[in-house]
Amino acid sequence: MKVLALPIEMVSYTDNKGVIRPVRFRMQIGDDPMQVIKIDKVIVKETQKLAGNIMLVYKCQSLIDDVMKLFEIKYEIATCKWILFKI
Amino acid sequence: MSKLIFHIDANSAYLSWEATYRLQMGEQLDLRLVPSVIGGDEQSRHGIVLTKSIPAKKFNIQTGETLYNARMKCPNIVIVPPRYWLYMKCSSAMHQIFKEYTPQIQRFSVDESFLDFSNMEHLYPDYMKLAKTIKERIKTELGFTVNIGISNNKLLAKVASDFKKPDRIHTLFPHEIKQKMWPLPVEDLFMVGRSTAPKLHNLNINTIGDLANYDLKILNHKFKSHGGIIYNYANGIDNSEVRKSNYIEIKGIGNSTTIPFDACDSDTAHKVLLSLCETVSMRLRDSRNCCTVISINIRGSDMISYSRQKKLTVATDSTRKMYEVACYLFDNVWKGNPIRHLGIHITDFCSNDFYQCCLLDAFNYEKDKSINVVVDAIRLKYGSSSIIRSCFLHSGLSAMCGGIGEEDYPLMSSIL
Repeated sequence: MKVLALPIEMVSYTDNKGVIRPVRFRMQIGDDPMQVIKIDKVIVKETQKLAGNIMLVYKCQSLIDDVMKLFEIKYEIATCKWILFKI
Repeated sequence: MSKLIFHIDANSAYLSWEATYRLQMGEQLDLRLVPSVIGGDEQSRHGIVLTKSIPAKKFNIQTGETLYNARMKCPNIVIVPPRYWLYMKCSSAMHQIFKEYTPQIQRFSVDESFLDFSNMEHLYPDYMKLAKTIKERIKTELGFTVNIGISNNKLLAKVASDFKKPDRIHTLFPHEIKQKMWPLPVEDLFMVGRSTAPKLHNLNINTIGDLANYDLKILNHKFKSHGGIIYNYANGIDNSEVRKSNYIEIKGIGNSTTIPFDACDSDTAHKVLLSLCETVSMRLRDSRNCCTVISINIRGSDMISYSRQKKLTVATDSTRKMYEVACYLFDNVWKGNPIRHLGIHITDFCSNDFYQCCLLDAFNYEKDKSINVVVDAIRLKYGSSSIIRSCFLHSGLSAMCGGIGEEDYPLMSSIL
């Protein structure tokens, strides 16, 4: 996996306990066309508190172009921004 | 009953916090591993080194020197602007971890705290293990390293945490003073700064040990009460408590600012003074005091500063009155040279419950008080920029200047 740190648009689901589950996201790498990726499985969810900044880290897997890929997305609580961290 | 104090100090705080944050945001480069500094904004002439990385230390870059000098010493140095909100966040997160171990914490400044573990032998039988746990937790959870100094009092703990960096635990108990603290240069002692150190060198005092074994009478004569304090510190004597808040009875309040440009006319200078008055007087009213002495400090573009002060007949906490006096002082003392830096300092406080009127003073204190109360309330509720004086519109000056710009930002004091 390589660090990408790309801001992405996300559709997520929050249950009545406040647990956030990412569902699908849209991203654009360089000049490539927009790509929508459905998150098939969240493998691990962690809370990161580095530098006092709370981020939710999701390690996920999806089928992208018929290849099973592992990647890591992060959600920054303070700004409500999602990033595709590693892929 | 033995006392046990920890002093926990983040290693090159601003820089490692910035580095950790950047790594979290996906940056590949760790600022801590390359020569880098956190520096103020050169455009508005606040261009000095605030914190340096350990590789930058090898280029002999000093905290407080200009960024220009730093670049001369190391041309490919990375300069990063400060982010005070991030530092507050890191500091609070660190504090949150400390709170899980002891209720007695003194947040001495944004990056260092004293933790009191006195009489907790049953809870924490091994202090070394405890220190390791705290250090490792901060490293893994928050992503930066700290130094921990352990001793029986705050002073020794603080000296110990300064020994060898980064990511270390040091002890300095009274029986270790002789071999661990006395060989150090006298500048390393708390409260020995750039003005005391040369005077001590003149007395042939070069190490802390020299100071500890010097004749107290001579020190008292030369440095007055300060001599006694540093003599005690050199001998590791300090009885101050781990205070939960840094609040001490204040004797004076002051704010100053470096103006982004050289002010050449009195009109601009008056505006800067007014904006300083706003900050200072609001702090004064917040402390529920009135002041009777106002002093101003002017530093020209030639870096030479001069100051004047005036004693008032009526104690006041009014912004306008303070501004009037500041302008009076300024007009009387200003030599007409370009001004780089202005400061206001107020002292001689009394309680603001009531005040003694003066027959010769036509200023309407009551009317002014009511407007100040309203303005303060608005600013506290909606932020300091929510209501400003119209003269600051389009002036390029901030309506309330002085300080760091971040509210409740703890700075280190000279009192342990």
